[in-house]
Amino acid sequence: MNNLTILVIDDDPVIRRLLEQRLLKEKYKVLLAEDGYVGNETLANNHVDVVLTDLMMPGDIGGIEVLEFAKGLERNIEVILITAHSSINTAVEAMKKGASDYLEKPINFTELFLRLEKISTMRGLVRNAEDLRQAMDVTEGTAAETIQNLEITAASLQSHIDSIENIANNHEIDFDERVALILKDIQSIH
Amino acid sequence: MLKIQPAELKVIAQYIHDISGIYLDQSKSYLFETRLSSIAEEHGCNSYQELYQKARKDAGKKIERQIIDAISTNETLFFRDNGPFELLKHKLLPEMIDLRTPNSPRLKTNIKIWSAASSTGQELYSVAMVIKDLVGNQMDQFNFKLLGTDISDSAVKQASYGKYNKFEIERGLPRQTLQKYFTLFGDSWKVKDELRAMVNFRKLNLMLPFAGLGKFDIILCRNVAIYFTLADRKKLFNKLADSLTDDGFLLIGSTESLTGICPRFVPKRHLRAIFYQKKN
Repeated sequence: MNNLTILVIDDDPVIRRLLEQRLLKEKYKVLLAEDGYVGNETLANNHVDVVLTDLMMPGDIGGIEVLEFAKGLERNIEVILITAHSSINTAVEAMKKGASDYLEKPINFTELFLRLEKISTMRGLVRNAEDLRQAMDVTEGTAAETIQNLEITAASLQSHIDSIENIANNHEIDFDERVALILKDIQSIH
Repeated sequence: MLKIQPAELKVIAQYIHDISGIYLDQSKSYLFETRLSSIAEEHGCNSYQELYQKARKDAGKKIERQIIDAISTNETLFFRDNGPFELLKHKLLPEMIDLRTPNSPRLKTNIKIWSAASSTGQELYSVAMVIKDLVGNQMDQFNFKLLGTDISDSAVKQASYGKYNKFEIERGLPRQTLQKYFTLFGDSWKVKDELRAMVNFRKLNLMLPFAGLGKFDIILCRNVAIYFTLADRKKLFNKLADSLTDDGFLLIGSTESLTGICPRFVPKRHLRAIFYQKKN
């Protein structure tokens, strides 16, 4: 089982079907949408890792609008655009807006699976890093509490030592009284 | 990866200490290899000794800068360990504002804050955000000077530019804060100009004298001294005490301690965080 959920958005039913079959064969979870409207609706209501969308689609919502919607929704969604050779410049513009990649038609599946694998590996690494950071946060939090308690205790003991030193060196008070004061100070530590 | 020879370890460790103050444990040779091997290869060196010699002879100090960038740790986050920022918001900043507000309403309140190891800037920008949230639309009554310094050129450059990728931004920053203080810039986020205008970043080696920076009301020196030797830590915090105003506040990392390091500071606890003040 591949753990990525992929949303395919394309107005061409043949391409949709083809992508669905190939992705399912590679054990990806697949969602389908026939245009940008349905695509955005699916995005809003489902967990999606990768959007594979046609750049040019009928209606007001093309690939770029899907990209913007997806990025606004969840910063972690990766968007791959499918484009005809003639619209490569638009696809490059889309990369600047945060698209992960673009694929030229006809789709080279080896290339597509390589990109998806890369995304999957990257997500795994990010998750590992997050786990490590979380573990670090817990360790750091526990250590911080201990260290801060020790820091405050050490400072309080230091102030007692200073006060005892002052009493001991205060020759205006007679010896017995100094001893009594020092003992009193020591008792107050407990 | 180019292997480091036992004989080279001492020389390289000493060199790194000389240029950065950072102390690398010589028993951990992988630390040297993982961080320096690509620099050695880039300069066509067959050994770390050769890299060392090239770096020493390099008048433009390019190799030295590369080594510092590779050795210094830039693990940082916006609002890393929330405690100090809550402390700033609820205690240190309001108290400092009270202390520094002049009698005449025509005069501005001057407050100087220094992030002594600012890395890529997240800590200082977090402080700037806390200030903005606290002061709101009365900013014109204040003159906040926020300085960030770091030993790494590339860290200082990124901090000044204020651009962060999604991994750098995701942890620690609530969505609301993100939208308030950042603008989307391609796949990255850029700190808004109103925040960038409040801060200043420059390169500084904490091992060198820094009295020229003047005195600060609040100093943050978090998670940097841990890379220094005990002797260097003592020197650093002593110099920081000189750079802090008499009623100023010092914040260090949550797992750091000044016990046995600098008797001039006393720890004080507020909520779940600790800050330091100079002993009277």
